[in-house]
Amino acid sequence: MIKEEDFTALYHTHAPKIRRLCMGYASGNQDLANEWLQETFIKVWNHRKSFKGRASVDTWIYRIAVNTCLSDLRKAKKNIPINEAILKDNESDDEIQKQESRLKKMYNCIDQLTEQNKTLILLELEDVPQTTIAETVGLAHGTLRTRLSRIRKSLLKCITNGE
Amino acid sequence: MENDILNTIWSSQNDKAIIDPKTVIGKAKKQRRRQYWSVLIMSLTVIILIGYTIFVSPKHWNNFTLGLLLMISSLVFRIVLELTTIHLKESKLISLDSKSYKNYLKKHYELRLWVHYVITPICLATYIYGFYLLLPYFKREFSEGFYLYCLISGFGSITVIIGIIIYSIRKELRFLDKLKHH
Repeated sequence: MIKEEDFTALYHTHAPKIRRLCMGYASGNQDLANEWLQETFIKVWNHRKSFKGRASVDTWIYRIAVNTCLSDLRKAKKNIPINEAILKDNESDDEIQKQESRLKKMYNCIDQLTEQNKTLILLELEDVPQTTIAETVGLAHGTLRTRLSRIRKSLLKCITNGE
Repeated sequence: MENDILNTIWSSQNDKAIIDPKTVIGKAKKQRRRQYWSVLIMSLTVIILIGYTIFVSPKHWNNFTLGLLLMISSLVFRIVLELTTIHLKESKLISLDSKSYKNYLKKHYELRLWVHYVITPICLATYIYGFYLLLPYFKREFSEGFYLYCLISGFGSITVIIGIIIYSIRKELRFLDKLKHH
């Protein structure tokens, strides 16, 4: 069973990644992403006794996170202004503005993907191993690699063309 | 190179605003306590209701008892159904991969529509009929002003319940449509 110290360690390792994953699902809406992050870890804590270890604990947490974001009935509001607080500290205002605009474009492009493709690319961007992604989503590893390569290309095209 | 561009943009987000794990554990424990209390209160209500029906009402069985029984049992049935559905949905959320969970959600919301269109109206009609059976007793026992208050608050709360049902049907229909098209 996952004890409190294990939970704390898991939280510190995965919370930043899951928050960004939720940001992708929420099209940059920080409040919604934070809410989903909290819900994910509340579920992890409440159901820690039911974790049987059939999949790795990482896969289990990502599944909960993705399913939590997927099953929220609220519609994420479109075109939410990107708050500069979500960007890493930079030296110049110009750089911040440029990053804000690129990130906003990226959220919009991710939002145009299907739910499953969205999950795939968001986990891939967090450097989650492909075997974990395949187990989280329920896809064969071979299919996943081909699909990821296609999603990356279309996402890049969308970002550079501003579609 | 392409990968670098996407990863660079993505990693420009910071990790601020992440709450402490102890706060999360505290919230989780609070949520569990609330759930246990709700179940305890519900169970006590059901036990009192069954006890009342078995020991008291056979001697004084009338429309008042029937009305009360119809109102409480329809409400309890609907709440138990709702809690069971929520529990089942959560157990699927933590155990299924996202592809299987999405398929489960489609079935879940299709079943919910059946609940909304068939079960809920039956429960609501039973509840309203139960309330209707109580009215003559209210009129006889209470003052005119209090009877009027019972009428207004009773039908007012029923209107609010109908409003909530319509709102949740529309919300779930929209979500089901989104699930089917993505």
